[in-house]
Amino acid sequence: MGLRWYHFVLWAAFIGGMFMLPEFASKGTLRTIIFANFLAIFAISWDVLSGRTGYISFGHPFLIGIGAYTTAILTKRFDVPVEYSIPIAVVVTMIGGLIVLLPALRIKGSYFALVTLAYMELMYQLVQVIRPDLTGGTRGISGLTTLTRGAVNGYYMSVSLMLIIALAMWLLMRTRVGTALSAIGMNEESVRGSGLSPTRLKFFAFLTSAFIAGLGGAFYVHYLGSIAPRALFEINFAFTIIVAALIGGASTIIGPIVGAFFLTFLLEFLRPILPGAERYFVYGGVALFLYMYQPKGLYEIFMRGWAKLRGTRT
Amino acid sequence: MTQILIQGLLLSGLYALIAMGFTLIFSVGRVLNLAYGAYLMVGGYIYFYVAQTLGMPKIAGVLLAAVVGCAMGLLKYRLIVRPMKGDHVAIEISTLILAVVLQAGIVLVFGDSSKILLPIVPGVIQVAGASVTYNILAATLASWAILIGLYMFVRKTHVGRAMQAVSMDKKGAAISGVDPDSVNMITWGISGTLGAIAGVFFASYTQLSPSMWVAPLIIAVAVVIVGGIGSIVGTLIVAHIIGFMEIISVAWIAPELRGVFTMLLIIGVLIIRPQGLFGREEL
Repeated sequence: MGLRWYHFVLWAAFIGGMFMLPEFASKGTLRTIIFANFLAIFAISWDVLSGRTGYISFGHPFLIGIGAYTTAILTKRFDVPVEYSIPIAVVVTMIGGLIVLLPALRIKGSYFALVTLAYMELMYQLVQVIRPDLTGGTRGISGLTTLTRGAVNGYYMSVSLMLIIALAMWLLMRTRVGTALSAIGMNEESVRGSGLSPTRLKFFAFLTSAFIAGLGGAFYVHYLGSIAPRALFEINFAFTIIVAALIGGASTIIGPIVGAFFLTFLLEFLRPILPGAERYFVYGGVALFLYMYQPKGLYEIFMRGWAKLRGTRT
Repeated sequence: MTQILIQGLLLSGLYALIAMGFTLIFSVGRVLNLAYGAYLMVGGYIYFYVAQTLGMPKIAGVLLAAVVGCAMGLLKYRLIVRPMKGDHVAIEISTLILAVVLQAGIVLVFGDSSKILLPIVPGVIQVAGASVTYNILAATLASWAILIGLYMFVRKTHVGRAMQAVSMDKKGAAISGVDPDSVNMITWGISGTLGAIAGVFFASYTQLSPSMWVAPLIIAVAVVIVGGIGSIVGTLIVAHIIGFMEIISVAWIAPELRGVFTMLLIIGVLIIRPQGLFGREEL
């Protein structure tokens, strides 16, 4: 896996720093960071599927929504305890991941991106129509069990979840499977030529992505305590996830996390100036500019700066 | 039955107009322009501002919307699509970001609430028991006129044939003395104009709201995917399939499910017949 001493130091510093944060930050800042943590989880999930394999998904909220709705319906309508409903939600989301995999076996590129967009819109319309007694129709479900009380506990829960997922994905991507996944994004035919099965690798990538999305979605809904279709299956939400991963740096682990924190704080910073949806004007403008300037994201900008600082010794 | 036939024909005409600009870009530039829905939105809002807020003649509103749409198409090609040099994923993502930026821009200028557009041509006529507004009738007639004009333009004029050539084979067209860059430029301009005009009619059919760009984008996407070839006739046929499906599902099944069948059609066609119902060269 090629682990070096500085990997351990950097991870320890990162984890330690995140856990020390409640000592310094105010409650309001912590609430913002909680959202950034969840966005980071979703961005990592998107990155496993799209950043690595190159199958761009525009409908990632479809997967997150399946996880969130499953646990919401189970706990609220059938009184299933949270300990059981979250694992069930994750499994159901993985089945949803297989539905997304189905078209990816035959089509790629733009067509795949479009079919995921269609999935999301389909889900949005179906949730409101089919069995509104279960899903709550347009208004959604509120008054769900929340796992934690207060900003500090919520912070610890979300940050632990995010760090566990990030570390697990980081280790996974350093194995040969991770390399093979990135190879699919570069050239699927040569992966086949190397004697590996792209179908199996895609199967693995989609299931992993769905697993993270389901886990993140389920915990997110039990943090918020409510769920509504318009907030979830929205193109702005899909856009935020994709942009977080791309701005930070696709195909890395720290990239989506950095992107998620950058965007969440940018949005929070704009709140006093522009209160409503207008914030997306500045936010999208910044995202568009950064993406046009460096499609590989902040990670690449930072790495180039670092290489320049160290001179040509590398 | 007659009612479904009439309603279906009218709606399909509108959908053909919506999808046309999108297919045009797709067939000539081989790029999916996800900000296409935003052209419609901007066109609708400009018409609203000129004709309803300023109270100027309606035709001035439509013309200004068309001019701004054309300018938006040209600017987007210059500033975003050309620097990306044919990287499809990058173009799709940046056009999606642009669409969100434009949506937020509309909220900034016109506010979050949806607005009702007065009919462009007021009045209602009774045809075989179905009440048909002059407004949608005008939209359908305009749509047919524009489609026939576009068909003639692509077939008969020099520029139109150059567009066909680039859509068939970019390198071959370049060797024959056609500049693919300027042809692309013209196509983006036409696409923007068509989008903005379609937006005026679409807005008068539904209503103006900052999130109105998603629905026409989905319709345009469905037409491209189901039709596949990006030809004008193919677009027309698929627009009728989708339009009639929607009207029939509203009349016989349930009004809430009107969009569901379009979505199912997209997914079904992509999984079962990825090359589209009428064939597609690549893929």
